[in-house]
Amino acid sequence: MAGEGTRARPPSTSVSTTSSLMQDVPGAFQASVNTSGPDRSDFVSLSQAIHARRSEYVRPKHIRIKVGSWNVAAYKGAEKDVGGWFVQGMGVAEALAGLKVTDQTQVHGENIPQQAGLDDREDVASQEARYHKKQSTLPRNDPGSIPGDSDIGLYVLALQEVVDINSVSEALRPYTDPSVANKWKDAMSASLPPGYSLIAESQLIGMLLLIYASPDVAKDVQSVSTTSVGTGIAGYMGNKGAVTARIVLGDTTRLVFIDSHLSAGTDKGALERRNWDAAQVVARTKFEPIKDSMGLNQSSGEQIGDEDFAFWCGDLNYRLEGIPGDDVRRLLMLHTRNEYDLSQRSARKIESELRSATEAVKHRVEDRLSVYSNGSSTPSSPARSAHDVRSSIDSRTSTDTPPTTIVDELAVSDDPTSLQTTLLSLLPHDELHQQMKLRAAFYDGWREGPINFLPTYKYDAGSVGVFDSSEKKRAPSWCDRILYRTRRDRLTYETKIQEEDDAKRKDDQMRASGLDHAGNDEEILYELYDPEADGVGEEYDEYDEAGENVVVTKEGFEDSIELEYYTAHQRVLSSDHKPLDAVFKLKYDCVIPELKAKVHAEVAKELDKSENEHRPSVTVVVDRHRSDSVASEENSDSDPATFDGVYFGNVRYATARHRYLTIANTGRVSATFSFIERPHGANTSSGLAPKWINLKLADMPSASSSKASQSVTLEPGDTASAELEVRIFDMHTMHALNEGLQELDDILVLRVEGGRDHFIPVKGCWLENTLGKSINRLVKIPEGGIRKLQRQKPGGSSSRSKSVREGGASRERSVSPPQSLQVSSAPRELYKLTTAIEELAGRVVAEWEMTHSSEEVGAYVLAPWQTHPAWPFDQQCWTERNGMQWQDALGEVSNALDCDEPLEQSLPPELPKMQRLYVLANLLMLFLEHMSDGIITASQWTEIKALMTETETSKRKPSLEEQRTAVQDILAQQPSHNISLIFVTSMLERIIAETTPTKRQKDDLVKKPAGTLRRFTGLGKLSAEVAEEESSLLAMARMFAEVVIRSEKVGSEKARIAVARRKAEVLVLFLRRGEGG
Amino acid sequence: MAARMQQGGRPGGARFAQFKLVLLGESAVGKSSLVLRFVKDQFDDYRESTIGAAFLTQTIALDDQTTVKFEIWDTAGQERYKSLAPMYYRNANCAVVVYDITQASSLDKAKSWVKELQRQANENIIIALAGNKADLVAEQPDKRAVQTADAEAYARESNLLFFETSAKTAENVKELFTAIAKKLPIEQASQRGMRGPAGRPGGVDLGNRQEAGGAAGGPGGCNC
Ligand SMILES: Nc1nc2c(ncn2[C@@H]2O[C@H](COP(=O)(O)OP(=O)(O)OP(=O)(O)O)[C@@H](O)[C@H]2O)c(=O)[nH]1
Ligand SMILES: [Mg+2]
Repeated sequence: MAGEGTRARPPSTSVSTTSSLMQDVPGAFQASVNTSGPDRSDFVSLSQAIHARRSEYVRPKHIRIKVGSWNVAAYKGAEKDVGGWFVQGMGVAEALAGLKVTDQTQVHGENIPQQAGLDDREDVASQEARYHKKQSTLPRNDPGSIPGDSDIGLYVLALQEVVDINSVSEALRPYTDPSVANKWKDAMSASLPPGYSLIAESQLIGMLLLIYASPDVAKDVQSVSTTSVGTGIAGYMGNKGAVTARIVLGDTTRLVFIDSHLSAGTDKGALERRNWDAAQVVARTKFEPIKDSMGLNQSSGEQIGDEDFAFWCGDLNYRLEGIPGDDVRRLLMLHTRNEYDLSQRSARKIESELRSATEAVKHRVEDRLSVYSNGSSTPSSPARSAHDVRSSIDSRTSTDTPPTTIVDELAVSDDPTSLQTTLLSLLPHDELHQQMKLRAAFYDGWREGPINFLPTYKYDAGSVGVFDSSEKKRAPSWCDRILYRTRRDRLTYETKIQEEDDAKRKDDQMRASGLDHAGNDEEILYELYDPEADGVGEEYDEYDEAGENVVVTKEGFEDSIELEYYTAHQRVLSSDHKPLDAVFKLKYDCVIPELKAKVHAEVAKELDKSENEHRPSVTVVVDRHRSDSVASEENSDSDPATFDGVYFGNVRYATARHRYLTIANTGRVSATFSFIERPHGANTSSGLAPKWINLKLADMPSASSSKASQSVTLEPGDTASAELEVRIFDMHTMHALNEGLQELDDILVLRVEGGRDHFIPVKGCWLENTLGKSINRLVKIPEGGIRKLQRQKPGGSSSRSKSVREGGASRERSVSPPQSLQVSSAPRELYKLTTAIEELAGRVVAEWEMTHSSEEVGAYVLAPWQTHPAWPFDQQCWTERNGMQWQDALGEVSNALDCDEPLEQSLPPELPKMQRLYVLANLLMLFLEHMSDGIITASQWTEIKALMTETETSKRKPSLEEQRTAVQDILAQQPSHNISLIFVTSMLERIIAETTPTKRQKDDLVKKPAGTLRRFTGLGKLSAEVAEEESSLLAMARMFAEVVIRSEKVGSEKARIAVARRKAEVLVLFLRRGEGG
Repeated sequence: MAARMQQGGRPGGARFAQFKLVLLGESAVGKSSLVLRFVKDQFDDYRESTIGAAFLTQTIALDDQTTVKFEIWDTAGQERYKSLAPMYYRNANCAVVVYDITQASSLDKAKSWVKELQRQANENIIIALAGNKADLVAEQPDKRAVQTADAEAYARESNLLFFETSAKTAENVKELFTAIAKKLPIEQASQRGMRGPAGRPGGVDLGNRQEAGGAAGGPGGCNC
């Protein structure tokens, strides 16, 4: 039951920002905001805000609904009567039927509208006399007794047995013969006032439901859905069951009309089957989704119970039980015979019936009459006739044992001759009322108007009041009924059940615990009864303010209904059932489209306004004053006045630059923002930021390649900061920058959820460096370094105005400026690097020997060159290389190289010598590795390879010296390359000499390592040391061959190893220089 | 039968649809000013150039049953940010390409935007061309640098909606957006109660209803 109230709205998942928006909408209600996705949320908030103002666009509308039910028992020509009784309200025998529900006592016609013409009405005798199957059987000159024609807004006609349901061919007919329904529709159309239209129609074999609306009501009708449920043979055939229509009136009010024909029969099994049939109808009826006023479909269809007003009519087939049928027939005919004059056929029939009754019956009936005339025993109690059967309110107490005679049942105070008294005596035997009380059928809120008319079944066709005179003499029963239920009735019932269950549970608990803790009753009571948790009264609350008659609809509108008439048309002769109808007055709130459109426009405007005003907004400030240590050294990186983004100033290899953004929530609501992926252009990579920027948002690093950074939520007035770090360490990027293929120029996009996007341009000026250049270009760098060269270039340090594409081209040109006249013999940078390393290595080794003299140190510590033959170039020695400090140091040395400044001095003084050496070694390796054409170029290598192959195949093995000379001849063609190689090899020779064990022999030949080597050759006791030297030499050769010699890529791993060996062999030629010469 | 019966009463009911609209055009032609006029009915003589993309919403009622909500992205016109424009027109249902009728070069720029949209944006995108600052030539006719007829001819051959507008006097601003709304596929979009159908296939097939319940329904439709 809980949750019912919100079901009409679109299905719920999340409560999002809309809820805060709603606070600004006048009258907005705070029910959970239901959305199924971001796309719908706006829509939902709009429709909810509109709904909240519904009182402005709905107008109460009062209409009459007439519901009629008639089992026509497949009698031919019955349709001729339908217009007369149903539309015009004819055929009521006022003496035999109460009319106005609200005025019970006056059953004899004082209160009939159009009473004036009654005198002219054809009498029963002549009416019956002209009875003919193919003609209207209604009394002539009948002015009609109940409202009809254009007084009625909705005509709901529920027919049963429009075809013979007992005929096998009808039951098995695979299609519905349209001519049957057409016959009825034609008859209705002919009787209805002009303009009435059929708004719903459904047929299931014998059951035919037709709903007509007046022009005024028809335009309020929407979401018509008709369904049918067969509960007959095998539980599914359509000979029994129901056809149902659901309509929505005025965008606000759901009506359900059920036309059903339940199982026949008088025995107990039949009764239970009827109950089952009814339950099946409820369980299996499902309507199509409602399209709401905003044109939105419900996700799933509703069922019986979801409506605001339901009307259940038809031949429900409930009988009078526990009372001899014959008694009832006779008793009732005592009343009907008054309608006839004695000469009449029907009257004679009735008289003979009454005469031929058995003595016992006669006695009983007469007894009863005498009781009436006595009139002695009881004080006047309110007429029981006024009771209006309301199932739900009655408790579950079972009915008393049914009395066996009518007499026992009589309320003696009542007028003995009154029809009302007779009916009252019979009604307790009505199975339907009993089942309702027992909560076996129609119990959940269904109610029925007072029955002031004779049982509608079973008459001799053609007669007004002769109950079945055939052999079977069927007991009269109120088979045909019209029940109704409001949403409020159903909820009241549910609440009651809930309360009963609670009470029962409480009782049980008390009983169970009572034995042990008799004294704790109060506590238990307190524990068990928690109305809120039990959900009691939740829905009920809506009625607290609402008046007695108000029915709060599923959509939250306040409607009301009132039953005006409930009666049978006794003087319809064409079937063995009498038709009956009920007239309801319904007040519903009707949406006035024009008014709603106006509210809609206003609400939309308000929502837009509030949405736009409450859009989160942030201000992004580029912090210009937080400089990092490096920045302070340079004065060139102050922002150009015109640039409004993040300007990093000069950016050089491996050196970090930091800039900060402050993001302040300057809006009125909390703001969530993140950096989002930018579209990638030809020269930029996709992701949050270009590769060269490390983005840290509120101290959380974001991978620049991801789709979105983590988001940060700020309350108004709060700030967050983002750190942008530039450190070009990646060789590929550096190369692209050096070559002008890329620039440090990009745009970050900061997105405020639900707000605007901020573009943050980022820019830096790249300082070109010498890594990755060819020797030919390196030798053209003037004294003062490449940095000096860049400063000479036009627009060298401020290339911002150029697009990336243009920049590329102009850079290429500027590398060889016309004024670069001094060409060095070999790259100055290489010379500086190699000599610095050589010198530093010497000092490091010397220092090591000083501090690690074996006598003093207990445990012998191996020097790094003893464990790493390629020391100090072996990466494994560079233990600190992943640290920031290392990168900084590398950046500094590289910068010194580019500025032609002393290398070692550029390093921070606190850095240990060993680390300095490693940083330099690292830079040298990078320098060699990325030198664009290598020291030994690919073409030179091809020649050398050819030479080596030749040597190998020739018979005479040339000496090392000869080989070296041959290689040198090739290299000499490019002197600067040749000299570069010598820089490297002589450095290596020197380091090998320093670090190999011979050094520790404190030989005085230190300065002539080649000689030293020769001198000890062949000395057995030193062979281990020699081996050490040899391994160092080979390791160095292998390592440097890889970076010094360029060659084409080879495919297989095997070939690659072979090539590497060959390259190393060539380098060995140079490192073993002393040996041959 | 029931499906046809649905049409009884007021057919269709109200319609609501949401569409993404992007403004493009050279810097200073008045994109932000047009949005400000449309959304807040204001004008600002000194507007800062947009750096980023401003986001606003505005709902307009076409008639008493039809509501269109625009999600407006006002982009930065500066050349520097051109590469970011695709983020905003990518899923757009409609675009307003703005030029300044006193600057001939701004029409060239507008044309290149139109071209880019027709090539890169949604296939069914609805494009409107707006020649802004009409108020300037009303005062001084010699200020006009783009003839109405020329722009109109271009718009016609490129299948664009065309208006000469003034954010300053509000001339044709509402008309511009209303004309766009009228061209949008509201029917398709509103059936699902969501944003326009841009690039999203499928939807709910309303014609395919199931009759609930048991055996035979009534015969045929009704004549209502
Ligand atoms: N006279 C006149 N001036 C206008 C009109 N529309 C805009 N302006 C002015 O033109 C200038 C630029 O307007 P914006 O709306 O900022 O231009 P924009 O296209 O958004 O520019 P960006 O954001 O840089 O792309 C402002 O000073 C406005 O006041 C107009 O219709 N008439
Ligand atoms: Mg702007």
